[in-house]
Amino acid sequence: MSEDGDHGGDEPTLSDRIDGFLAALREWAAGLYHGLVTHPAYEKIEKAAEDAEDTFMLACFPDAFGIPSPVSYYTAELLPYLESEFEAWERRMWDRGSMLERKGEQYHF
Amino acid sequence: MEKFVFFGGKGGVGKTTMSAAYAVKCADAGLDTLVVSTDPAHSTSDVFDQQLGDEPQAVEGRDGLWAMEIDPDEEVEHHLMETKRALGDQVSAALVNEIDRQIEMAHQTPGAYEAALFDRFVDVMRSSGDFDRVVFDTSPTGGTLRLLGLPEFLEGWIDRLRRKREQSIDLYEKAAIGNTEPRRVMDGDPILARLRERKQFFEYAGRMLREHTAFFLVVNPDELSVRETRRAAEGLADRGLAVRGLAVNRLTPSPDDDEHGRGARYLRDRVATERAHLRTLREEFDQPVVAEIETRVEEVRGDFLTEVAAELDIETAPPADPPTPD
Repeated sequence: MSEDGDHGGDEPTLSDRIDGFLAALREWAAGLYHGLVTHPAYEKIEKAAEDAEDTFMLACFPDAFGIPSPVSYYTAELLPYLESEFEAWERRMWDRGSMLERKGEQYHF
Repeated sequence: MEKFVFFGGKGGVGKTTMSAAYAVKCADAGLDTLVVSTDPAHSTSDVFDQQLGDEPQAVEGRDGLWAMEIDPDEEVEHHLMETKRALGDQVSAALVNEIDRQIEMAHQTPGAYEAALFDRFVDVMRSSGDFDRVVFDTSPTGGTLRLLGLPEFLEGWIDRLRRKREQSIDLYEKAAIGNTEPRRVMDGDPILARLRERKQFFEYAGRMLREHTAFFLVVNPDELSVRETRRAAEGLADRGLAVRGLAVNRLTPSPDDDEHGRGARYLRDRVATERAHLRTLREEFDQPVVAEIETRVEEVRGDFLTEVAAELDIETAPPADPPTPD
């Protein structure tokens, strides 16, 4: 009785240990699944979103790259609302060595 | 007759005279009439002998007649300031310079001037509720054609931009499934709202030009002017805007039969050539010749305007269904 009591205080029961093990396993599995499957997928979708946004920005402000545009007069009025996009876009555009490089960014070796 | 009437044509053929004369005719017929000059080289002020500005101003000595001259430079400046003000409200100080440069650049592109002019004259159409008729004295043919071609072109462009924007927001929303906030959301996106607003503006302009506007071309009886008129008529037709009639200006008066001097011979030759061009205009063009105005020695202004107005065979009756402002 006293022996049992001592053990009960120091050492978890078998079912507790199994629960703990499963919890760790679940966390690992979730992490692994997120790392291998969901994260790359979301990353890909987000990259695609950025690409679509880049096309939008390029259509709006081709003169940023020296291409005259007859509509930049109208698209200029969008600029105040495109603050964060504009900077990120410029950075992405200057950075983008090639399409391959851009598409390759999502594979983490 | 439609509420809006445009006079176009090659430079120097007398568009200002014709539009001023037609406006006088309308005003004399009891219509509240506004003449709008969109030609960068304004001469409406000279015709009415009165300094005009960017707002409608009553023409002295003529009842029911108002006139204004659009200044695109001022409009470009105004648009620049508006955009910059929005920039100050929205953007953090650190980024203002970067974006500022981009905005400045956009206002110096070759299209800016035309876009500003276009904005202005659609504005005039929109706020013309008090007038029965608005007569536009346009810039020479090339500029006008480009200007009138804008709405359809810009509508298409804005539409494509809107689709791209929606696509990218949609993808951002998809990428954020799970627990994170999407980087952009469709609801209340200021860019989409702006694009939609712009599209409505162009739709309005296109509708007014196609349904509530009559076009007349002013032509001189010479080879160059006839050719340019042919191109202009075709160009307008391509955009779904039909030319209603041709106003022939600057016909040379023929000398009396008993005159045989050098001047008389010159005039007779000149008249013969002009007759040939006039025949071309009558026979080869689908549009009727609505006016044949002889050259006048004096500048056409004052009472002469009334005289010229009497020779214009263009109806003045107010439109049966005036456009509803939206």
